[in-house]
Amino acid sequence: MADSTPSTPPDEERRGNAVQRFYAAFESPPRRRALHLLLLAILVVTPWLASQYMTVILTNALLYVVLCLGLNVVVGYAGLLDLGYAAFFAVGAYTIGILTQQFGINFWAAIPFALAAAALAGVIIGGPTLRLRSDYLAIVTLGFGEIVRFSARNLEITGGASGLSHIPEPTLLGWYIDSAIDFYYVFAVLAVLAYIASQRLFDSRLGRAWRYVRHDEDAAEAMGINRVAVKLAAYITGAIFGALGGIFFAVNLGAISPESFSFQQSVLILLAVVLGGMGKIPGVILGAFIVVLGPELLRDFGTLRLLVFAVLLLLIMLFRPSGIWPEKRS
Amino acid sequence: MKKFVKLATVAAAVNLITATSAWAAEPIVIGMQAPTTGSEATYGQDMFNAISLAAEEINADGGLLGGRQIELVSGDTACDPQQSVNAASRLASQEVVGVVGGYCSGATQPTLKIYGDADIPFVIVAANSTQLIPANPGNAFMINSTGADQAKTAVDFFAGQDIDKLAIVNQGDAYSQDLADLTRDDWEKAGHTISAFEVVNKGEQDFSALVNSIRNSGAEAVFWTAYYADGGLLIRQLRQRGFQGIIAVGDGSNSPQLFDIAGRAAEGVYAFSNPTADFLPAAKTFISNYETAYDTAPGPYAPLAYDGMQLMAWAINKAGSTDADAIIQALASADGEAWLAGPISFTPQHTLARSNFVVLEGQDGKWIRYQP
Repeated sequence: MADSTPSTPPDEERRGNAVQRFYAAFESPPRRRALHLLLLAILVVTPWLASQYMTVILTNALLYVVLCLGLNVVVGYAGLLDLGYAAFFAVGAYTIGILTQQFGINFWAAIPFALAAAALAGVIIGGPTLRLRSDYLAIVTLGFGEIVRFSARNLEITGGASGLSHIPEPTLLGWYIDSAIDFYYVFAVLAVLAYIASQRLFDSRLGRAWRYVRHDEDAAEAMGINRVAVKLAAYITGAIFGALGGIFFAVNLGAISPESFSFQQSVLILLAVVLGGMGKIPGVILGAFIVVLGPELLRDFGTLRLLVFAVLLLLIMLFRPSGIWPEKRS
Repeated sequence: MKKFVKLATVAAAVNLITATSAWAAEPIVIGMQAPTTGSEATYGQDMFNAISLAAEEINADGGLLGGRQIELVSGDTACDPQQSVNAASRLASQEVVGVVGGYCSGATQPTLKIYGDADIPFVIVAANSTQLIPANPGNAFMINSTGADQAKTAVDFFAGQDIDKLAIVNQGDAYSQDLADLTRDDWEKAGHTISAFEVVNKGEQDFSALVNSIRNSGAEAVFWTAYYADGGLLIRQLRQRGFQGIIAVGDGSNSPQLFDIAGRAAEGVYAFSNPTADFLPAAKTFISNYETAYDTAPGPYAPLAYDGMQLMAWAINKAGSTDADAIIQALASADGEAWLAGPISFTPQHTLARSNFVVLEGQDGKWIRYQP
């Protein structure tokens, strides 16, 4: 992209190809506002028009939006490759499960503890890995993810391999959150919050510091950015997003087991982020929807569905190597 | 992208054709739930085959409720709780009259609530963890004996072999841990000793440390409660390092493929098994029909899956309608109805009223029924 020949008119270069022009159409604030309102309206009315099955898989997609936006902070903004993101998801889910089911603490009162536990997990993984880069960092995070899963599998308090079941459903002002539509709206609210938070973080001072660290760590430090604090902040933010997803995942399914937080789960979330376009919020959201809805919409292919889906993913990466909606290089 | 559009069109067209042809017959839609992707896909496909075979036979006999044909829709759970929730919701929104299937207890458990809320009768044919019992809202019926029954069969077997020190090895997943815990408790209650109680991780290749600790513990028998892929390796290494005692494996390891992995070491190994087709006198025609239709031998859960479909059909006929409550009542009233795997009647918790486990012995590269 960068090595365009001098003969190309600068105007042509700026406008880019058809896809880029399409995405650029959403850059202007009024259009963006209109799009937000439209998407919000679709989000609100969908469960009343769709079948219960659609509602359930959309709920799942919205959960992944939250998780992917969280991982996007770590991988996309700060450039820290994390192969164990499901660990934060697990910490949130297990903390809420243990506190509400085994200690009988109210669900809403338990949320701060779950978030604090996830933040602590973020510090634990962030601390020792601060000096590591790229491949080495990926290996350590992979190990961390497996440690969390194996601990959950072997500890008494987490219910061992069977996990925790009969996690009580939360109530809000006397209203039981238990139907598919209730959980759809819960995850819709979470996804919108995650979107707003991601957007604000991206534009913040911290967000700029993350991008600087991603581009050149040494230069960033030379310019007075506290590398340690900034990286830790990325992990903690990502952990809190993941834990939020995990908290509501646990009460939605009512049962959690270590198998839900496998390495494959981490890879799936990372896949969605990379597929959509690292660092670009709409891209990541699109990636989350594709990764969740793709295999579901292909159920008619029967046993071939995962094969077809894999081929589709390969085609996407072939034609859009930096993601479907990549971040604009400045 | 064009390719995808083309594929999608084909899929949509196929859907349309099946949908229109089905309308005319006013079918009774039954859901099948099992993993057809992922590590357990073989078992799931086997269950789908057996259920389809039963449905075809019923349809050829004139269908249900005076001529209505059974139409099957499938839900792939991938043995994963999250995906099974998706599959179950999809089946529920396709307005199935009943669901037959259920493999992998962990993945079956969250679907119970969905079918309970949607008021759909569910015949669980393979999943047999005791954890399913409290999670059952009342519409599900387990026609496979639970882990508790297998533990009892195992304890009776080991006690019959004059053994006192038993080593139990599991893989730390819900199924094998459940079975290991139950066996340990029953064994100790019977006044015997557990000399080693070990957990290994799925996919481990080298069991030398484990073999040493089993040998040092003085165990007279080893009970492997998990699946055949890793079990085969463990059996091989136990025998290679000179372990002379009895080796027995749970029903996750009674696959013929254990002999491919363990080789000669699997000779004389005992296995506890659900009633697989080879050991059921009533299943002769079933085996030949299955082999004609699918070009392969029926797997371990095929007879139970076949029975599950037959039981569901029987209950719909007995209820005289597709009303869920009437079908659930009919299922609960089952009193010794028998197809392939023996008589079916239920406890008040909707579990099978008897233990259906048999003991097998490995001989000349295949399983034969063990006669003490």
